[in-house]
Amino acid sequence: MEKLLAELKAKIIEILNLPDVSPADVREDDQLVGGPLGIDSIDVLEMVIMIEKDYGVVINNRELGAQVFATLRTLADHIQKNAPEPVR
Amino acid sequence: MTDTPVFISSIGMVSALGVGRDQSAASLWQEDRRFAPLTLFPAGPDGPLPVAEFRDLPAVADPPRTHQLARLAADQAMAACSTPPDAIVLGCTTGGMPATETTQEEGIDDSAAYRHHGVGTVADDLARRYRCTGPVVTLSTACASGATAIAVAAAMIRSGRARRVLAGGVDALCRLTYFGFKSLQVIDPDGARPLDRDRRGMTLGEGAAMLLLADRPRTETDLQLLGAGLSCDAYHPSTPHPEGAGALAAMQAALVDAGLSPGQIDYINLHGTGTPDNDRAEAMAVNICFNGSPPPLSSTKGVTGHTLGAAGALEAGIAALAIQSGRVPSNVGIRNVDPALALSPVTSATPLPVRRVLSNSFGFGGNNAALVIGKAAKKRPTARKTADMPLIVTGYACLSGGGRTTDTLAALSAHESCRGCLADQTVCRDLDPRSIRRLKRLSKMTLAMAVELKRKAAEADLPGVVSLGTGWGALSETADFITRLMESAYQHPSPMAFIGSVHNAPAGQVALLLGARGANLTASGGDYSFEQALLSADLVAGNPSEPILVLGADEAHAALTPLFAPSEVSSEGLADGGGALLLRRAPVAAGTCVALAVYRSHRQVDAIGETVADLGGAENLNFRFGAILAGLPAAHRTMARDQLNRFLKISGFDGPVIDFRRLTGEFATATAIAAVAGVHWVATDTVGAPGVGQNPQPLNGKGVLVLGLGPTITATTICPP
Repeated sequence: MEKLLAELKAKIIEILNLPDVSPADVREDDQLVGGPLGIDSIDVLEMVIMIEKDYGVVINNRELGAQVFATLRTLADHIQKNAPEPVR
Repeated sequence: MTDTPVFISSIGMVSALGVGRDQSAASLWQEDRRFAPLTLFPAGPDGPLPVAEFRDLPAVADPPRTHQLARLAADQAMAACSTPPDAIVLGCTTGGMPATETTQEEGIDDSAAYRHHGVGTVADDLARRYRCTGPVVTLSTACASGATAIAVAAAMIRSGRARRVLAGGVDALCRLTYFGFKSLQVIDPDGARPLDRDRRGMTLGEGAAMLLLADRPRTETDLQLLGAGLSCDAYHPSTPHPEGAGALAAMQAALVDAGLSPGQIDYINLHGTGTPDNDRAEAMAVNICFNGSPPPLSSTKGVTGHTLGAAGALEAGIAALAIQSGRVPSNVGIRNVDPALALSPVTSATPLPVRRVLSNSFGFGGNNAALVIGKAAKKRPTARKTADMPLIVTGYACLSGGGRTTDTLAALSAHESCRGCLADQTVCRDLDPRSIRRLKRLSKMTLAMAVELKRKAAEADLPGVVSLGTGWGALSETADFITRLMESAYQHPSPMAFIGSVHNAPAGQVALLLGARGANLTASGGDYSFEQALLSADLVAGNPSEPILVLGADEAHAALTPLFAPSEVSSEGLADGGGALLLRRAPVAAGTCVALAVYRSHRQVDAIGETVADLGGAENLNFRFGAILAGLPAAHRTMARDQLNRFLKISGFDGPVIDFRRLTGEFATATAIAAVAGVHWVATDTVGAPGVGQNPQPLNGKGVLVLGLGPTITATTICPP
């Protein structure tokens, strides 16, 4: 789980091009969307594509998305539970 | 602006409903929803989603599908008309993209295969087809394009600049929009059900609709374009304002323009895409506008699909059908009305006397347009705002390979080159890194100019209206989107690149930055895009208290520029940049005046002679102007050189003539930089050196003329108070 969290932090900073944000600034239990990082609905969609591409986990509706992207930890949990191959 | 009514002489339409008025009406009244899985191109690993394809196009690659659809609709509109229209105004978002994508897939790198790529090529094709030699303008305001084009065309007639204008919208299904909207998760896998409780998004469609608008009726029963309203949310690049503030502003502006109260509207054709966000925001706006009791209303996108740039024009056609048939169309696709919307859509086509229809269209960039179509009023209820004051410059900024405003103007004044591509760091030096993290070059360049003007301008001069001209749009995002789509075998398109790829994304960003909630326009017509933006802004911005920002900008792209615009690649490499003018309506004496005096095709008989005449004739021209900035686009240099020689011969002009593209480098909106230089020179009463090693010269209180030459001839006049 810790490895996955660290990996997600790095990926989010990279794909969302978050300026002046280091992995330490992304806190596991902070509100992810609309929180301190300034992540919005477009960023969520970009993350959806990344999660499908890199972990094989499809998040294709809004209601599910709202739960999954609540925090970084809920996202990591969802990936771990649903990935076709084990993710640590 | 005059009070001339705008008559709808004829309407042509093509969509999944069929070709022409009769087929379209039959499908509409039968509620014949022909949504079916995509067949036009491979849908990728998830399988095809339902779309509303138009099935009866001949399978030829040239011209592209968009051009074919536009011709089909325009031929109907022009059938009863033997003389060319005075102007063409077309709304379109994808241009030749359907063909470009196929060509890219086949790995073809011959630029000739991409000659139809530009969004403006569709309107140019129609201009050749109907021998139109007047202004040919393309507006690309995402899903508001068709309605925006009709609004600008109507303003052209009211202003007296044209008597008959062919106006409408077109878009064909293509990979960019299909996979783009899919990546945004706004496509309903069960087909669009606008206003439904369980709605999940839109169904993409394709089509075209063209209206021949005129300043006088052709028959006694001609309908009128009674009013139009444009606005911008200035809220978010792709999500509507949650309470529909921009939508409300557009509807209210259209009603005021028509001189009607909400109670005089008999039917509303909603934008109603079927996405949760749009329908919620639009419902709120409608309820506010109509004080909780709107007239019968429906979205017809559950039967036509969302035809994007065509939608506003197609729905203007549907509005006309409703009036002429005395029936309101059904909100096809709906099963359970969403109680949260507090609207009661018409659920089966209902006979009802319909005299006046309000039609809504909203798009990315927060670009909103509303039209009022109806039977002729016996008497015009109110006089319209007058807009006979000229546009006065209150600020200017530019950017080139030579640097930001000061450096670029210093180079041009010394007759030195400023061509090239300015380093990203210099472009972004005043921009907040967080606010531009998702933006690429074109949006950054545009914002850089806007930020500079914001810092210098008085609060009262900050714009409500924003109008951007761009020849090629956001090439970086377009390339990123297509590349990732193809590399991932249609599996992982980038939603961020899609939103950024629309032509109007930069103007939407400028509106966000400046809180500009007036009309937000993006014009795209190759080398004349800046002039189109200036003309369109001048036409729609009538309110003296609402300042106007007109910009022109283009980005060079290492992979796409050589394919789309090979003439822009020189031995010195690529060039890009732009210019921006902050304007307000004020009396002539208030400051430097800018006006687009001429926009015509080179095909017009004695086009250069007419241009000199439009500028007041040889004597007047020499009296008014102390210098000419001449734009000779590389792709048409020989033609442009001949035109310039003829212009100089007829006018006898003997002042300095500056071949500005030799200095700015070649890109579609280089004219915007020239216009800024012209304004700067008029303001300082000094004209740049006419040649290398020569000195700047006094302008002696005269103005500067910016000429655009080639297939289109433009003249922008810049005159001192």
